[in-house]
Amino acid sequence: MLVDLAQNTLDGLGAGASYAVLALGFTLVFGVLRVVNLAYGPAIMLGAYAATWTSLHVRPGLATLAAITVAGSVVAGAYVERLCFAPHRATGLRPGAAVAAMVASFAVWMQFEEAATLALPNHLYTFPSLTTAAPLPLGPLALRVETLVSLAVAAAICALLWWLLYRARFGIAVRAVTERPTAAALTGIDPAWVSVRVFALASAVGGAAGFLVATTHGQVTPHLGMWTTLKGLLAMMIGGLGSLPGAIAGGVLLGVLEAHSQWYLGPQARDLVAYLLLFSLLALRPRGLLPARHTG
Amino acid sequence: MDAYTVGVFTNIGLLSFLGLSAYVLLITGELSFGQQAFFGVGAYAAGVGTAMFGLPLVVATAAAMASGALAALVVGLPTLRLRGLYFAMATLAAAEMFRILFELLHWQRDVGGERVGPDGTQGFRGIRWVFEQGIEAAGFLIVVYGVLALLVAALVFVERSRLGATLRAVGEDPEQAASLGIDILRLKLGVVAAAGAVAGLGGALYAHHTTYVEPRNFDIMLGVHGLAYALIGGLGTALGPLLGVVLDIGLLEGSRLFAGYRMIVFGGLVALLLVIRPRGILDERIVHGWRHRAWRPR
Repeated sequence: MLVDLAQNTLDGLGAGASYAVLALGFTLVFGVLRVVNLAYGPAIMLGAYAATWTSLHVRPGLATLAAITVAGSVVAGAYVERLCFAPHRATGLRPGAAVAAMVASFAVWMQFEEAATLALPNHLYTFPSLTTAAPLPLGPLALRVETLVSLAVAAAICALLWWLLYRARFGIAVRAVTERPTAAALTGIDPAWVSVRVFALASAVGGAAGFLVATTHGQVTPHLGMWTTLKGLLAMMIGGLGSLPGAIAGGVLLGVLEAHSQWYLGPQARDLVAYLLLFSLLALRPRGLLPARHTG
Repeated sequence: MDAYTVGVFTNIGLLSFLGLSAYVLLITGELSFGQQAFFGVGAYAAGVGTAMFGLPLVVATAAAMASGALAALVVGLPTLRLRGLYFAMATLAAAEMFRILFELLHWQRDVGGERVGPDGTQGFRGIRWVFEQGIEAAGFLIVVYGVLALLVAALVFVERSRLGATLRAVGEDPEQAASLGIDILRLKLGVVAAAGAVAGLGGALYAHHTTYVEPRNFDIMLGVHGLAYALIGGLGTALGPLLGVVLDIGLLEGSRLFAGYRMIVFGGLVALLLVIRPRGILDERIVHGWRHRAWRPR
């Protein structure tokens, strides 16, 4: 009983680690651009598809596949930024520009899904698994190697982002643009250039999460795009829009909650519980668990 | 018209209801990712009415509209104080909950020795009222467009009235509208209910066109399409969403142009179009121009 509870929490932490990384990428873009990028997940899906395509033709190592997933996500993300966000940033003061950009990113999502199914027409492709090693015994519990790797990667990405945003010169510019875009521009920071680099960074972070998800699940489908966008949005909104600690908290909470509700109530209830949590939070505490200090 | 053309035109008509549902909210300044849920509620409610309890389609459709409006109010009441993305996310979460509830819904009864009704993920089969009445596909097409014409006429009428001006004022600047004495919350509740009823109406007709609905028909993809139709077609007039559907279904799928690459072409066109016209093709400026031209003596 207690063992089940602990085991589910452990498994949930593994899933939650990738959700947290997904939400970090999402919230980075939102913080700077104040726009939701619906094509975030589909761009990651395209990266995972590029890696899958490569693994079908040559047999590269896992590190190469991870690099291809990240690079593919960045390239797809750059395309989204150029087509959907850069033109609207110029008209950023016009009301509705954010909505138009969001709908444009949805249109690009459609493009990505079709491109993926044209490149790899089957419904499902296996993705090389991280390891075939048996779970490590941890007292009465079993610690899956994937969980361990996911947690380690998530921790490394958090540390890297923290350093980039709070210790590097780039981070000062990003935070300035996030908090006061006009004042940042007046001090000589080019918001457009900051946005481009944040977009690339977020896509790379998302690509890393996408690789973790694909290799943990051992498969990719075109549905991965929608799945990634939805999980990232859920974790981001639960934690608090635009908040980095919130993204981590939201992702971990979502992962653990899903693991428990799946175990005790079944797969449909798992999703129901996740959406119910988001809906109730929005109704009662719209700014999330750990809200960003600055509002746009 | 051959069966394929009739099918394409019927789909255009049915999806227009979803686009109009999103449109009504958009002009009031609310973005919903969840109108597909009320489309689904309408589809299920109308199916229950005709297939399970033998009601005529008109009565079942009225019940579907009421159910759509009621469901929209249940979602809208706790979330209407949210703005922008927060409201959009709340409607998305609610719509996904509705979809999962459809998956969990098992309610069947014997009708003429057959089990009829929603059967969880297996969906709801045998919504055959139209077929049993001997109405052919072309006949149903006329029904769909008749209802759609009435709805568009009603919307155009409302938009030209004082209420229409009030709605757009709230959409443009809610604080200023409130300072003019407009009761925003009450107005928005009305709009949410009306948008839910419009979606429910479309869902009722949709269920009777396909004779079969399943929960995954009403996923987020359907909702974002409805939203995109309204934004592509334009937020200036109720004809905008219809234009959006025609462009997607009619022009690209119907003509079978770019077979296999349709979404790549359409997606790119939409993204570019939104750069040039962020509020769609028939936006407020164009529509305003029409009206003035109509009044100007030649």
